[in-house]
Amino acid sequence: MTLIDYLTAALLLAGAIFFFAGTVGLLRFPDVYTRLHALTKADNVGLGLMVVALAIQAESWTAVGKLLLIWLLVMLAGASVAHLVARGALRRGVRPWKQ
Amino acid sequence: MSGLSILLRGILFSLIWWLLTDGDTASWWIGVPAVALALIINIALLPSSNLVWHEFLIFVPFFLLRSLLGGVDVARRAIDPRMPIAPALFEYPLRLPAGMPQVFMANTVSLLPGTLSAELCTNCLKVHVLDSRGGFLAELEAVEQRVARLFGTSLKTF
Repeated sequence: MTLIDYLTAALLLAGAIFFFAGTVGLLRFPDVYTRLHALTKADNVGLGLMVVALAIQAESWTAVGKLLLIWLLVMLAGASVAHLVARGALRRGVRPWKQ
Repeated sequence: MSGLSILLRGILFSLIWWLLTDGDTASWWIGVPAVALALIINIALLPSSNLVWHEFLIFVPFFLLRSLLGGVDVARRAIDPRMPIAPALFEYPLRLPAGMPQVFMANTVSLLPGTLSAELCTNCLKVHVLDSRGGFLAELEAVEQRVARLFGTSLKTF
């Protein structure tokens, strides 16, 4: 394994940890709003780390560009959908959980 | 709308096509009409944007760093056995002009630490915060300031 391979492995592992934490948040957090926090933010970072891990292995610049494009689109879709789900919940009168 | 901004958008869409097709020259038979169509739809939906391109160079690193911290923050709270959260719903009075700048702000907020945009009303943004004890207000004001600069506008003062 070269240095780049080790870096890729480390980044992939870090990405997986964020996906794991996002899922733990989805299961543990008390209401729809807090769960959205976990999903959008942790998964976005997880995907970002994986994109970087794969980009440094890519054989062409177009592959790097494609990976970045995927990340950008997922980020846009994730943030927009989180907003729509939260708005839908608010309009239906779902009260945010309080301690 | 200026010729230059149409040209820039055309170059951007061509670049995306080039990426998607791995630079295959034969694909431009479909690519050129696809880029033209995308450009027509884009201009119809978004006739003018006052995006200040060089401000992106400042905004992107800020956004990447803050969204990374956002992920770390929420991951830590999710895994911590005591689960330290104190959520609250907060109405933030927007000083940005309506349209693209407000939508851009709403989407950005959802990826930054501890904040989730829940509803965009007239000149206000309902934000769900994960920890109401934190300094989320200063963060929102800083983001708004940066978005204003990105779109070349100034914030309204009340």
